[in-house]
Amino acid sequence: MRPSIVGCIHAAALAAGLLLGAASQAQAPVDPRAPQGALLPKDSAEAATFRGGLVYANYCVTCHGFNADGNGRAARLYNPKPANLRTSDKNDAYYGLIIRKGGSAVARSEFMPAWDAELTNEQIGDLVSYLRSINASKP
Amino acid sequence: MKTSRLLTVALGLAGLVAATPALSAEHVVSQKNKAFSIKKLTVKTGDSVKFVNDDSFAHNVFSLSPAKSFDLGSFGNGGAKSVTFDKAGKIEVECAVHPDMRLDIEVTP
Repeated sequence: MRPSIVGCIHAAALAAGLLLGAASQAQAPVDPRAPQGALLPKDSAEAATFRGGLVYANYCVTCHGFNADGNGRAARLYNPKPANLRTSDKNDAYYGLIIRKGGSAVARSEFMPAWDAELTNEQIGDLVSYLRSINASKP
Repeated sequence: MKTSRLLTVALGLAGLVAATPALSAEHVVSQKNKAFSIKKLTVKTGDSVKFVNDDSFAHNVFSLSPAKSFDLGSFGNGGAKSVTFDKAGKIEVECAVHPDMRLDIEVTP
């Protein structure tokens, strides 16, 4: 009984070693300078949307919420509530204006700050791309 | 007669002083280089904190703490807004435009 168990263990160890060896031979050598995973072309719309999502998560989520439905953790301070950006019917130009100049510039809530001193033009463009990507009405 | 009148006035004044609550203080916190000038502040109930923007761009100071929730809105260079803390507790103050800004205020009774 015991010899057969030991034999099984040896066989399993040998099989594992063979598998590991085969796997290491099948993998090409890793170039540490190579990018990890597929990269989006910087100028693509998908890349802008991805970057815009990061801008949103850093600057907008407090009021507009993780789901962009206007239910951020600060939303309870405001009446009217922050806009639901998933159902907004505003176009990209409007988004750009209210992001740059704040709510007062378009007769909306004075509590929507002006972001033109904090965000670059590229960040604002990326943010608009992201907002467009999550918008259900897509005007 | 004159003495008793003086005594009455003196007692009245003493009563007024005793009934007057302690004067509240105003603390000033600056915003400079995307940071509050201090990280922690202890104030007494009834004190106010004046937030002064010494940056060249706007700040938007707010707090969601149960002891005091407020939003001062955006205000630019040289602007200042005050908040009175009328309840003891711990208050986390943030800036809506600069998520890394943080100030902890402890309001003591």
